[in-house]
Amino acid sequence: MEMQTANQKEAGMAPVQLTLKRKWSDTLRVTLRAVVKVKGGLWGGIFVGLMLLCAIGAQWISPSDPDAQDIAHRFAGPSFTHFLGTDYLGRDILSRIIYGCRIAIIVSFGAVTLSSIVGVFLGVISGYNEGKKLDYFIIWLFDIVRSFPQIILALAIVAVLGPSLFNVVVALAFTAFPFYGRVARAQTLSVKEADYVKAAEAMGQKRFRIILKHITPNILAPVIVCLGMDMATMIIWESGLSFLGLGVRPPTASWGIMLRNGYKYIQTSPLMILWPAVAITMAMIAFSLFSEGLRVALDPKERER
Amino acid sequence: MLKYTIKRTLWMIPTLLGVLIILFSLTYLMPGDPASAMLGPRATPELVAELNQRLHLDKAMPVRLGYYLLGVVKGDLGTSVWSGHKVSSLIAQALPHTVLLAITSLGIAAFIGILLGAFSALRRDSPIGGAVTIISLLGVAVPDFVAALLLMLLFCIQIPILPALGAGAEGDLVDVAVHLILPATALGIGWVGYLSRLMRESMLDVLDSDYIRTARAFAVPRDIITYRYALKNAVIPCITVIGLGVGKLLGGAVFVEIIFSRPGLGKLIVDAVYARDFPMVQGGILVATILFVFANLLADISYAFVDPRIQYG
Repeated sequence: MEMQTANQKEAGMAPVQLTLKRKWSDTLRVTLRAVVKVKGGLWGGIFVGLMLLCAIGAQWISPSDPDAQDIAHRFAGPSFTHFLGTDYLGRDILSRIIYGCRIAIIVSFGAVTLSSIVGVFLGVISGYNEGKKLDYFIIWLFDIVRSFPQIILALAIVAVLGPSLFNVVVALAFTAFPFYGRVARAQTLSVKEADYVKAAEAMGQKRFRIILKHITPNILAPVIVCLGMDMATMIIWESGLSFLGLGVRPPTASWGIMLRNGYKYIQTSPLMILWPAVAITMAMIAFSLFSEGLRVALDPKERER
Repeated sequence: MLKYTIKRTLWMIPTLLGVLIILFSLTYLMPGDPASAMLGPRATPELVAELNQRLHLDKAMPVRLGYYLLGVVKGDLGTSVWSGHKVSSLIAQALPHTVLLAITSLGIAAFIGILLGAFSALRRDSPIGGAVTIISLLGVAVPDFVAALLLMLLFCIQIPILPALGAGAEGDLVDVAVHLILPATALGIGWVGYLSRLMRESMLDVLDSDYIRTARAFAVPRDIITYRYALKNAVIPCITVIGLGVGKLLGGAVFVEIIFSRPGLGKLIVDAVYARDFPMVQGGILVATILFVFANLLADISYAFVDPRIQYG
């Protein structure tokens, strides 16, 4: 490279930057464009965008206060004042669905972020130290946590820590980190044999730096695909735990709590169950389509098809 | 092959040991004094002291862990704080209900899912393929507890033709079967979607492979190609997934059992969580985990047997 620049200087040319450095925003734009091109990816993207919009701007979008009680109109059907009707306290269901979006996104995003960071960290270390004691220890750790049926483990952790938003995030993250860990480990095993890693090792770079600079950025694509799919799962589990009364605390508008209340009044007002059920299903479809698009977009093999 | 089986089986020992340690330390993480937390408002100093002694809570941690492991090895999972019965006998009563539910829903899911997937792969360019994609997407998108609630709403309240609660009278096969329909469907719906999609993908892969093309070139009858050559190989990926699915089924059973108030393992665990009955929670989760671990083991080993192309080091 030095030679080249020297030659170019002699020839009176501007030095050409040879390092390939893409900006994050560019990567994001290119990826999103590829996702949208996948069949269904566009719809997934639109719905996920809508959900994010609801989550961020709930206080501006929702027609009324989610906790405001209109006692005179309890169990009301859809009307112009309450588009989706009201629940057993006369609270506006549409507003509660919109605010429920916020809880769903916060919990799923928090859990997925936490578990992927811990999982990737452990997975990369384990993969880079393949065959050593540390590797076996980390695999052991992964296998222990993976042995539990996931939702039952989350249930037990919340039962011990007590139900709250933060504890739900921690519990869900704890059940999911081995899955990221195993993906990260498997990727690391192949990436660490690459020439550029060997070169960095030959140059005597520190192991930590190799892991951080050369390995981690190159194993992230499959991890991101897992993130997309896991968001959907976490949304379900948040509402599941809340449905059991082991999730977010009741006055908060969560889809699971809405279902829980609907279950109590299932004989008299079916709409109280129907709307949150529709919301959860739509969220699932949105994230499934989006993550499927992400998978195809990030998989070079699929892209050729 | 044998070496792999032995290795895979032996690896379960340290894993299960770790599971026990986690279950044990969960009580340690519980804020406050476990005995008074379990007893709640009933706690008097004498009762707390008695419970502490009974559960060995007054001993040092390693000693307690030792007691716990020893008990588990002997098959003694402790005594339910709430009801006073043995945890193991309570689980033995509940388990058949859950196993029956899980097997039924898995059976439904495997049958419909594999059939749908294979069928849509055979007619890949017809609208049936698209229909299967939509069905599978919907199936995956409706979580089991939402499906359970919607099914209950539809078939117990709007069109009241099926019973909503309980597991049916013991011994009365028709009653038990009728009580099983909705819970098993709710639990299996997601798997129909998942399996049909997986089956479609793998069937398409197999149909495109060289040996099927060769068979076609030799004018082997289509039915023989489809059923004897293609279907057998295409089912293989579904087998491992079914193994993993047992964990999801056990998790889903928690919700379905609570909603349809079936006296199974999941309901036992959740009720124990509500009652802060920790020996019961520990025991229930342990049994669920052991079931899951063994299902996975079986799936892994059978996978290796079914597909001789896989080599294990």
